[in-house]
Amino acid sequence: MTIQELVEGRIDFKGQKTADDIVRVVLITSTFLSFVIGFAFSSLMITMSTFVLCTVALSLVVLPPWPMFNRHPVTWLSESVQEQSQK
Amino acid sequence: MHSIYARANGISGLWSTCVMVLLGAVALSSFLFNAESKGSLDIVSLKVFHSKTRRYPFRNEEIGFVKFNLSADLTPLFNWNTKQLFVYLEAEYTNAQGVNNTVVIWDRIVRRKDDATIDIIQKEKYKLRDLSGSFSNVLPAQYSLKYSVMPYVGVLTYGEAARTMKAIDFPDARDSVS
Repeated sequence: MTIQELVEGRIDFKGQKTADDIVRVVLITSTFLSFVIGFAFSSLMITMSTFVLCTVALSLVVLPPWPMFNRHPVTWLSESVQEQSQK
Repeated sequence: MHSIYARANGISGLWSTCVMVLLGAVALSSFLFNAESKGSLDIVSLKVFHSKTRRYPFRNEEIGFVKFNLSADLTPLFNWNTKQLFVYLEAEYTNAQGVNNTVVIWDRIVRRKDDATIDIIQKEKYKLRDLSGSFSNVLPAQYSLKYSVMPYVGVLTYGEAARTMKAIDFPDARDSVS
Protein backbone atom coordinates (compact mmCIF):
# COMPACT_ATOMS: atom_id res chain seq x y z
CA MET A 1 0.00 0.00 0.00
CA THR A 2 1.20 3.51 -0.69
CA ILE A 3 1.64 5.94 2.14
CA GLN A 4 -1.38 7.86 0.93
CA GLU A 5 -3.53 4.72 1.05
CA LEU A 6 -2.25 3.94 4.52
CA VAL A 7 -3.02 7.40 5.84
CA GLU A 8 -6.39 7.65 4.07
CA GLY A 9 -7.70 4.26 5.21
CA ARG A 10 -10.57 4.08 2.74
CA ILE A 11 -13.43 1.65 3.32
CA ASP A 12 -16.44 0.92 1.17
CA PHE A 13 -19.94 2.24 1.82
CA LYS A 14 -21.35 -0.79 3.60
CA GLY A 15 -18.23 -0.76 5.77
CA GLN A 16 -18.80 2.90 6.58
CA LYS A 17 -22.33 2.12 7.71
CA THR A 18 -21.04 -0.75 9.87
CA ALA A 19 -18.36 1.48 11.37
CA ASP A 20 -20.93 4.18 12.16
CA ASP A 21 -23.23 1.67 13.87
CA ILE A 22 -20.38 0.23 15.93
CA VAL A 23 -19.33 3.71 17.09
CA ARG A 24 -22.83 4.67 18.21
CA VAL A 25 -23.54 1.46 20.06
CA VAL A 26 -20.14 1.23 21.78
CA LEU A 27 -20.01 4.86 22.92
CA ILE A 28 -23.49 4.92 24.42
CA THR A 29 -23.05 1.50 26.05
CA SER A 30 -19.67 2.43 27.50
CA THR A 31 -21.08 5.65 29.01
CA PHE A 32 -23.82 3.69 30.76
CA LEU A 33 -21.52 0.81 31.73
CA SER A 34 -18.75 2.98 33.16
CA PHE A 35 -21.21 4.94 35.29
CA VAL A 36 -22.80 1.79 36.69
CA ILE A 37 -19.50 -0.01 37.36
CA GLY A 38 -17.95 3.08 38.98
CA PHE A 39 -21.02 3.64 41.14
CA ALA A 40 -20.99 -0.02 42.25
CA PHE A 41 -17.31 0.17 43.26
CA SER A 42 -17.77 3.74 44.55
CA SER A 43 -14.71 4.99 42.72
CA LEU A 44 -14.58 7.75 40.13
CA MET A 45 -11.22 6.43 38.94
CA ILE A 46 -12.87 3.19 37.81
CA THR A 47 -15.57 5.13 35.96
CA MET A 48 -13.10 7.21 34.00
CA SER A 49 -10.69 4.37 33.30
CA THR A 50 -13.39 2.04 31.93
CA PHE A 51 -14.63 4.84 29.71
CA VAL A 52 -11.15 5.58 28.39
CA LEU A 53 -10.38 1.88 27.82
CA CYS A 54 -13.62 1.47 25.87
CA THR A 55 -12.73 4.50 23.76
CA VAL A 56 -9.25 3.14 23.02
CA ALA A 57 -10.70 -0.27 22.09
CA LEU A 58 -13.26 1.42 19.84
CA SER A 59 -10.56 3.42 18.04
CA LEU A 60 -8.55 0.26 17.43
CA VAL A 61 -11.61 -1.44 15.93
CA VAL A 62 -13.02 1.38 13.84
CA LEU A 63 -10.17 3.66 12.77
CA PRO A 64 -7.85 1.34 10.80
CA PRO A 65 -9.22 0.08 7.45
CA TRP A 66 -9.69 -3.55 8.49
CA PRO A 67 -10.64 -6.08 5.75
CA MET A 68 -14.05 -6.62 7.35
CA PHE A 69 -14.96 -3.06 6.30
CA ASN A 70 -13.92 -3.76 2.69
CA ARG A 71 -16.06 -6.82 1.99
CA HIS A 72 -18.51 -5.04 -0.33
CA PRO A 73 -16.51 -2.98 -2.83
CA VAL A 74 -18.38 -0.77 -5.28
CA THR A 75 -19.13 -2.56 -8.57
CA TRP A 76 -18.45 -0.12 -11.37
CA LEU A 77 -20.03 -0.60 -14.81
CA SER A 78 -17.79 -2.26 -17.43
CA GLU A 79 -16.12 -0.15 -20.17
CA SER A 80 -18.25 -1.48 -23.07
CA VAL A 81 -21.50 -0.29 -21.45
CA GLN A 82 -19.94 3.21 -20.97
CA GLU A 83 -18.94 3.43 -24.68
CA GLN A 84 -22.47 2.52 -25.74
CA SER A 85 -24.09 5.22 -23.57
CA GLN A 86 -21.67 7.87 -24.97
CA LYS A 87 -22.93 7.25 -28.52
CA MET B 1 -16.55 7.82 7.43
CA HIS B 2 -14.63 7.32 4.24
CA SER B 3 -11.16 7.99 5.64
CA ILE B 4 -9.44 7.61 8.98
CA TYR B 5 -9.71 11.34 9.58
CA ALA B 6 -13.45 11.32 8.85
CA ARG B 7 -14.03 8.38 11.18
CA ALA B 8 -12.03 10.05 13.96
CA ASN B 9 -14.04 13.22 13.44
CA GLY B 10 -17.30 11.31 13.67
CA ILE B 11 -16.21 9.48 16.82
CA SER B 12 -15.12 12.70 18.53
CA GLY B 13 -18.54 14.29 18.11
CA LEU B 14 -20.50 11.60 19.90
CA TRP B 15 -17.60 10.99 22.33
CA SER B 16 -17.62 14.54 23.66
CA THR B 17 -21.39 14.38 24.15
CA CYS B 18 -20.99 11.07 26.02
CA VAL B 19 -18.28 12.54 28.29
CA MET B 20 -20.51 15.47 29.17
CA VAL B 21 -23.48 13.20 29.90
CA LEU B 22 -21.26 10.96 32.08
CA LEU B 23 -19.91 13.89 34.09
CA GLY B 24 -23.41 15.33 34.42
CA ALA B 25 -24.64 12.01 35.77
CA VAL B 26 -21.77 11.95 38.30
CA ALA B 27 -22.65 15.50 39.39
CA LEU B 28 -26.33 14.58 39.79
CA SER B 29 -25.44 11.48 41.78
CA SER B 30 -24.11 13.77 44.54
CA PHE B 31 -27.71 14.62 45.41
CA LEU B 32 -28.31 11.02 46.40
CA PHE B 33 -25.86 11.31 49.28
CA ASN B 34 -27.46 13.42 52.01
CA ALA B 35 -25.06 12.76 54.84
CA GLU B 36 -24.68 15.07 57.78
CA SER B 37 -22.01 15.00 60.37
CA LYS B 38 -22.07 16.04 63.98
CA GLY B 39 -19.38 16.89 66.49
CA SER B 40 -18.73 18.81 69.67
CA LEU B 41 -16.91 22.06 70.25
CA ASP B 42 -15.86 23.59 73.57
CA ILE B 43 -13.83 26.67 74.26
CA VAL B 44 -11.16 25.85 76.81
CA SER B 45 -9.87 29.38 77.31
CA LEU B 46 -10.29 32.80 75.77
CA LYS B 47 -7.95 35.66 76.56
CA VAL B 48 -7.80 39.13 75.07
CA PHE B 49 -4.52 41.05 75.01
CA HIS B 50 -3.43 44.52 74.01
CA SER B 51 -1.02 44.47 71.09
CA LYS B 52 0.12 46.48 68.07
CA THR B 53 -1.54 46.19 64.67
CA ARG B 54 0.65 44.43 62.14
CA ARG B 55 0.57 47.12 59.49
CA TYR B 56 0.85 50.24 61.66
CA PRO B 57 3.16 49.51 64.59
CA PHE B 58 2.14 52.74 66.36
CA ARG B 59 -1.54 51.75 66.59
CA ASN B 60 -2.93 49.60 69.37
CA GLU B 61 -5.54 46.90 69.02
CA GLU B 62 -6.97 43.98 70.98
CA ILE B 63 -6.38 40.40 69.87
CA GLY B 64 -8.22 37.34 71.18
CA PHE B 65 -6.43 34.06 71.85
CA VAL B 66 -8.73 31.04 71.84
CA LYS B 67 -7.97 27.50 72.90
CA PHE B 68 -10.65 25.09 71.74
CA ASN B 69 -11.47 21.42 72.22
CA LEU B 70 -12.87 20.08 68.99
CA SER B 71 -13.99 16.60 68.05
CA ALA B 72 -15.92 15.84 64.88
CA ASP B 73 -16.51 12.83 62.68
CA LEU B 74 -16.73 13.91 59.06
CA THR B 75 -16.54 10.47 57.42
CA PRO B 76 -20.23 10.38 56.34
CA LEU B 77 -19.51 13.29 54.00
CA PHE B 78 -17.10 11.29 51.82
CA ASN B 79 -18.80 9.72 48.78
CA TRP B 80 -17.36 8.77 45.39
CA ASN B 81 -17.70 12.33 44.19
CA THR B 82 -15.98 14.04 47.12
CA LYS B 83 -12.62 15.49 46.28
CA GLN B 84 -11.85 17.22 49.56
CA LEU B 85 -13.51 18.86 52.54
CA PHE B 86 -12.74 22.37 53.67
CA VAL B 87 -13.38 22.58 57.41
CA TYR B 88 -13.25 25.88 59.26
CA LEU B 89 -13.91 27.21 62.75
CA GLU B 90 -15.72 30.53 62.94
CA ALA B 91 -16.36 33.01 65.72
CA GLU B 92 -19.73 34.72 65.24
CA TYR B 93 -20.75 37.76 67.21
CA THR B 94 -22.79 40.96 66.93
CA ASN B 95 -21.11 44.23 67.74
CA ALA B 96 -22.66 47.23 69.50
CA GLN B 97 -24.02 48.68 66.23
CA GLY B 98 -25.95 45.47 65.55
CA VAL B 99 -23.73 44.24 62.73
CA ASN B 100 -23.04 40.51 62.50
CA ASN B 101 -19.38 39.58 62.31
CA THR B 102 -17.86 36.21 61.55
CA VAL B 103 -14.13 35.60 61.93
CA VAL B 104 -12.46 32.41 60.73
CA ILE B 105 -9.89 31.42 63.32
CA TRP B 106 -8.88 27.91 62.21
CA ASP B 107 -9.23 25.81 59.09
CA ARG B 108 -8.15 22.49 57.64
CA ILE B 109 -8.36 20.70 54.30
CA VAL B 110 -9.35 17.03 54.54
CA ARG B 111 -8.45 15.03 51.45
CA ARG B 112 -9.14 11.43 52.45
CA LYS B 113 -11.79 9.56 54.39
CA ASP B 114 -9.07 8.21 56.74
CA ASP B 115 -8.18 11.76 57.81
CA ALA B 116 -11.78 12.80 58.34
CA THR B 117 -11.99 12.50 62.13
CA ILE B 118 -10.89 15.56 64.04
CA ASP B 119 -9.99 15.27 67.73
CA ILE B 120 -7.83 18.17 68.81
CA ILE B 121 -7.23 20.67 71.55
CA GLN B 122 -5.56 23.57 69.81
CA LYS B 123 -5.13 27.29 69.64
CA GLU B 124 -6.31 29.46 66.82
CA LYS B 125 -4.49 29.61 63.49
CA TYR B 126 -5.54 33.09 62.42
CA LYS B 127 -5.87 36.21 64.48
CA LEU B 128 -9.15 36.84 66.24
CA ARG B 129 -9.55 40.57 66.01
CA ASP B 130 -12.41 42.97 65.50
CA LEU B 131 -12.37 45.58 62.73
CA SER B 132 -12.86 48.36 65.25
CA GLY B 133 -9.75 47.24 67.11
CA SER B 134 -11.43 46.51 70.43
CA PHE B 135 -13.63 43.83 71.91
CA SER B 136 -15.07 46.02 74.65
CA ASN B 137 -18.32 46.89 72.83
CA VAL B 138 -18.96 43.43 71.47
CA LEU B 139 -21.70 40.98 72.43
CA PRO B 140 -20.81 37.42 73.47
CA ALA B 141 -19.62 35.19 70.61
CA GLN B 142 -20.68 31.73 69.46
CA TYR B 143 -18.11 29.44 67.85
CA SER B 144 -19.11 27.01 65.10
CA LEU B 145 -17.39 24.42 62.95
CA LYS B 146 -18.52 24.60 59.37
CA TYR B 147 -17.54 22.48 56.40
CA SER B 148 -17.82 22.72 52.65
CA VAL B 149 -17.78 19.62 50.50
CA MET B 150 -15.84 20.07 47.26
CA PRO B 151 -16.87 17.49 44.64
CA TYR B 152 -14.92 16.26 41.65
CA VAL B 153 -17.82 17.31 39.40
CA GLY B 154 -20.87 19.21 40.59
CA VAL B 155 -22.30 21.63 43.10
CA LEU B 156 -20.33 22.88 46.13
CA THR B 157 -22.30 22.08 49.30
CA TYR B 158 -21.78 23.30 52.85
CA GLY B 159 -23.05 22.64 56.33
CA GLU B 160 -22.36 23.01 60.01
CA ALA B 161 -20.89 20.24 62.10
CA ALA B 162 -20.57 21.63 65.63
CA ARG B 163 -21.43 24.68 67.65
CA THR B 164 -20.71 25.89 71.18
CA MET B 165 -23.64 25.44 73.55
CA LYS B 166 -23.81 29.01 74.76
CA ALA B 167 -22.29 32.29 73.75
CA ILE B 168 -18.99 33.17 75.39
CA ASP B 169 -18.25 36.69 76.51
CA PHE B 170 -14.98 38.38 75.60
CA PRO B 171 -12.95 39.13 78.73
CA ASP B 172 -11.42 42.54 79.30
CA ALA B 173 -8.17 43.15 77.50
CA ARG B 174 -5.01 42.91 79.56
CA ASP B 175 -1.41 43.61 78.89
CA SER B 176 0.69 40.66 77.86
CA VAL B 177 3.17 39.22 80.32
CA SER B 178 6.45 41.01 79.88
